[in-house]
Amino acid sequence: MTDMATGTPLSRVDGLLKVTGGADYAADHNPPGLLHAVLVTSTVSRATITGIDTAKARALPGVADVITDFGGVKLPFPAGEISFFGQPVAIALAGTLQQAQHAASVVAVRVTEKPAVTSMDDRQAIAVPSEEVADYARGDADAALKAGPIVLDNSFTVARENHNPMELPATVAQWSGDELTVWDKTQWVQGTGKHIAAALDVPESSVRVICPFIGGAFGSAGRTWPHQVLAAYAARRVKRPVKLVLTRKQMYSGVGYRPESRQRLALAAGADGRITGIVHELKTETARYEAYSEDAAELPKMLYTSPNVRSTYRLVPVDVSAGTFMRGPGFVTGAFALESTLDELAERVDIDPVELRLRNVADRNQITGTPFTQERFADCLRRGAEAFGWARRRPPKARREGNLLIGMGMASAAHPNYMSAASAVARINADGTAVVASATADMGPGTATAMSQLAADGLGLPVAKVRAMLGDSTLPTAPMHAGSATLASIGSAVHTASVAVRDAVVRMAVLDPASPLYQADPATVTVHNGVMSAPGHGSERYGDVLRRHGKDSIDSTQTWKPGDGKKASSYEFGAVFAEVSVDIRLGLVRIRRMRGVYDIGRVVNPKLAHSQAIGGLVGGIGMALLESTARDHRDGRIVNANMADYLVPVHADVPDLEAEFLDGADTASTPIGVKGAAELVIIGVPAAIANAVYNATGVRVRDLPITLDKLL
Amino acid sequence: MTIPQVNVNGRWLALSDIPVHTTLLDFVRDSGLTGSKEGCAEGECGACAVLVAQPGITTPTEWVAVNACLLPAASVDGQEVITAEGLGRADALHPVQEAMAVRGGSQCGYCTPGFVCGMAAEYYRADRDCTHAGQDHGPNGFDLHALSGNLCRCTGYRPIRDAAYSLGTPPAEDPLATRRDEPAAAPVATEVTRDGRTYLRPRTLPDALRVLAEQPETAPVAGCTDWGVGVNIHGRRADRVLAIDRLAELRELEVHADAIEIGAALSLTEIERKLDGSVPLLAELFPQFASRLIRNRATLGGNLGNGSPIGDASAALLALGAEVLLMDSAGRRTVPLADYFTGYRESVLRPGELITSIRIPLPLAPVTAFHKIAKRRFDDISSVAIGFALDITGGVVRRAHIGLGGVAATPLRAYATEAALLDRPWTADTVAAAQQVLRAEGTPMDDHRASARYRAAMLGQSLAKLHAETTEGAVG
Ligand SMILES: Cc1cc2nc3c(=O)[nH]c(=O)nc-3n(C[C@H](O)[C@H](O)[C@H](O)COP(=O)(O)OP(=O)(O)OC[C@H]3O[C@@H](n4cnc5c(N)ncnc54)[C@H](O)[C@@H]3O)c2cc1C
Ligand code: FES
Ligand code: FES
Repeated sequence: MTDMATGTPLSRVDGLLKVTGGADYAADHNPPGLLHAVLVTSTVSRATITGIDTAKARALPGVADVITDFGGVKLPFPAGEISFFGQPVAIALAGTLQQAQHAASVVAVRVTEKPAVTSMDDRQAIAVPSEEVADYARGDADAALKAGPIVLDNSFTVARENHNPMELPATVAQWSGDELTVWDKTQWVQGTGKHIAAALDVPESSVRVICPFIGGAFGSAGRTWPHQVLAAYAARRVKRPVKLVLTRKQMYSGVGYRPESRQRLALAAGADGRITGIVHELKTETARYEAYSEDAAELPKMLYTSPNVRSTYRLVPVDVSAGTFMRGPGFVTGAFALESTLDELAERVDIDPVELRLRNVADRNQITGTPFTQERFADCLRRGAEAFGWARRRPPKARREGNLLIGMGMASAAHPNYMSAASAVARINADGTAVVASATADMGPGTATAMSQLAADGLGLPVAKVRAMLGDSTLPTAPMHAGSATLASIGSAVHTASVAVRDAVVRMAVLDPASPLYQADPATVTVHNGVMSAPGHGSERYGDVLRRHGKDSIDSTQTWKPGDGKKASSYEFGAVFAEVSVDIRLGLVRIRRMRGVYDIGRVVNPKLAHSQAIGGLVGGIGMALLESTARDHRDGRIVNANMADYLVPVHADVPDLEAEFLDGADTASTPIGVKGAAELVIIGVPAAIANAVYNATGVRVRDLPITLDKLL
Repeated sequence: MTIPQVNVNGRWLALSDIPVHTTLLDFVRDSGLTGSKEGCAEGECGACAVLVAQPGITTPTEWVAVNACLLPAASVDGQEVITAEGLGRADALHPVQEAMAVRGGSQCGYCTPGFVCGMAAEYYRADRDCTHAGQDHGPNGFDLHALSGNLCRCTGYRPIRDAAYSLGTPPAEDPLATRRDEPAAAPVATEVTRDGRTYLRPRTLPDALRVLAEQPETAPVAGCTDWGVGVNIHGRRADRVLAIDRLAELRELEVHADAIEIGAALSLTEIERKLDGSVPLLAELFPQFASRLIRNRATLGGNLGNGSPIGDASAALLALGAEVLLMDSAGRRTVPLADYFTGYRESVLRPGELITSIRIPLPLAPVTAFHKIAKRRFDDISSVAIGFALDITGGVVRRAHIGLGGVAATPLRAYATEAALLDRPWTADTVAAAQQVLRAEGTPMDDHRASARYRAAMLGQSLAKLHAETTEGAVG
């Protein structure tokens, strides 16, 4: 078909609702009889609760209840104890938000404090092996380090970061008898339903979770957090609908973070720049009550050919809240150490950084030994260098404009193309419209738009006739909207269901003596604008055949499952280039321009993919230069738990950014040729910027973020 | 007194039954207009931005974008407010909404209604020069600073900027454009009392001073940018709130032969546009002060009234040798700004007393500069703020005033550095010696914004930067 919807820069299908304020996010729901809930949270990091005084709060106008015993609800931390600063200890419920806030502020929590350790660098913090990431070795990396001849051995740190999407976490819970409906901010409606049901010990089937719009999440709304469970719990206790919205401050300890990390990355190479050995020792902070590991060890093991690799991952349990995945989880952290080190190696062996990477590019996953489904890593590097004007890069400290030092840097990016089994239903209506639906979510990338496009092509309908539905746990099963797995997985399910229902109507037509397509070979039938036709036969609309069969609509629910991945390894690749200026008097770093070149398989919607990628670059700029969750380890409090002090990039921090996608489809991975993009686009960014800062100033910063102090 | 009410998107809504500390954001959202969002409740993110019709500088009325999360709902009694829902509908988009939808300026969409309002304010700015591109300005004259107080975590801002720069001028029949030609709603006296708390808007300055004299614990509020943070983040609930921001007596800007007198209740945006570059030091300050959304409300009276040690305005005004005019029901007095601050968040301001204006003596020093050291280009709190006002005649420093913010418990004058410059030749040697002195001014602290070492270093660097700028004409 010539006029495919897939591949066109269609405007977001929900854009009109969003620009007019009509998109309804979780906190926009106000069922009648609603009570507002405000969490009372702990102000110490470790203690036993000896009593909670609620008399004063209960006496205030409008206060319906103050819940202090969380009996009958399963929470991840032990009852009666405080395990981190900011832990929910009570819930104040009142008719207005103001009243609930006031009530919460006068609840007095009495505790017996216990010594707490909140810093992973504390001498009392003991590292333990990660149960999820096993130690890894191939060859003898330590011997390779001894043999040299070139050896680099450095430590890298990455500060804790919070996702800080613009939307606050919000849950509105309403019971009707034993049935619970939850309007929630979640990246996984069905997962949240399951987890709330388990925490409250009610059947999963009695919980419905609805979330048509997510105001950004970046991983923070993936798992189910205590506040979601507590909202449902409180609603059951007070027998009224309850709305619980976390404050921006509460988000910092309530919905996870990218854990602070410490890495040693040692690398040995020959004078020709070929890597001979890598030792990667990694530690991340974790909550004592709940282990969270991430894939920070992956890239140094898999990306470049190195016969010898040793990698260890340790967790450092401390008295903090639980971490979770945040955009590019682990990969961006590991890539910072690896790609900074490659930059140092390039200088040591006097080989251009792009050429150095090309010399070490692997044609297969170095951990599993399986070839990539599609390997365009080298293409990304070459194309990026050319488009960015990499040849104009000068040696360190060689480019100066007035008080500004100018530098260029680059880094590689790679991320597994995660895929999961996913289901979707496609329905063709006799009126010529269609609906496609799955219990997935759309936190911004445009899932609904891409679903409409893929369905339109599968169904042979114009996009305008197709409506996509998501964000309701009663829809066909979908995995969590995370890991950039959504489009590959849900898209494949949507495609499969759309083709299946199209085929079903075609079959009805070719078997129907009343149809102009009677006895046509189904394989030769094409559908265009909802009109089926076949060579040598007439044509007719979907609606015609459906009506003759007395049907208003026909649907098909299909489940798509990815291959087992034993034969081939599915990865997304990219190369990121950055140019920065550094004011030598003030240490101020400004990004001048950046370009990312990516292999993400088929691009379903270039407009959405472009802004998604640029958003990732900006996320990476934040990680490189601004973002850091600052803590006072005397009591474990987060000192910049707000948007004034936790800095995310603003308009003026963002220069001309370009993102480019290599042509092509990876049909070995998915029937629609799509791979993920959302995580990939942040991965090399901090390293590319650090490398550019080095090229500008000759100062190598191995600690993120690169703040002014570090450059003086 | 009439019943307090506000016109939102063309519909009058009663304000009489709301608790006094209800914000405009909570009020519109509770009225069913949930398009305006809360992202931070402290004026940082702009998700709550709405448009308010206010007396204009170039047209009788201007549409001004403000942070609804910081304003008391009662403060818009008698006023007109437009939210994203009021600009257009899905089947009848406003040009700004259309540009945002088509250019992909909305990704998750949560920041979008706020961006749309901020963008609409700039779209309707009558003195936007639609043929003039420039730094931070699009080819259509769109000033990107209009969006400096709106955060987006998804789009990377590019599509939003593309949308902003694609806007034309409003068509003649556009109702919000024609609204600009009529006067803005006159201020009304307001009194809202609930749960034992009161919000008062007096008609005149004497009325205000009388209330303050009778009940000195009454909290005067102007732009409410600090008030809103206090209420939302710190749980402050004053029993009596007294609005002074529309008092005509506090909203004058007069240029006399020997001084410029700036009314304490003018917003920074109003001051910026009224001065129109005539005080270069302030012209340099304004774009670096918070964001456009905040500047549309924040006043000088509030900036000095809160006594913040990092007040950017103080550093600039100290350098300008400003005086503060104070008044209570008993009379007036004038205090040099350098003597105004007495300790951390403390000043000579007495209970019941108001700042009425700030006086900047004329003539202005010929060499001035304002340096704000912050990590972000827009909307960031200073690590240090430095105001310079120097008179260099015949290569010799004849007068030196230096104001510092962020280096001590109060903003302060760098007297020792001034002495190290005074009557010395404006040379690299003098500057190098003065830099040493400047580094040691104040008692900078280590915090999460910057280390004491960095702050001290920046003080020194800023003098070097000024010297370079005056001698090489270089900017950087
Ligand atoms: C997001 C954000 C960013 C900010 N960024 C900056 C920044 O970059 N630089 C900076 O310096 N400040 C900044 N501020 C602080 C604040 O905006 C300013 O201090 C502002 O000038 C206060 O003015 P206002 O009229 O809004 O004060 P209000 O909130 O109305 O009042 C503040 C205090 O001053 C008192 N007051 C107000 N007017 C008078 C008067 N006429 N006489 C006596 N007392 C009075 C009030 O009683 C109150 O205690 C920021 C604030 C926010 C929320
Ligand atoms: S809610 Fe963030 S500025 Fe108002
Ligand atoms: S579109 Fe998500 S915050 Fe702007």
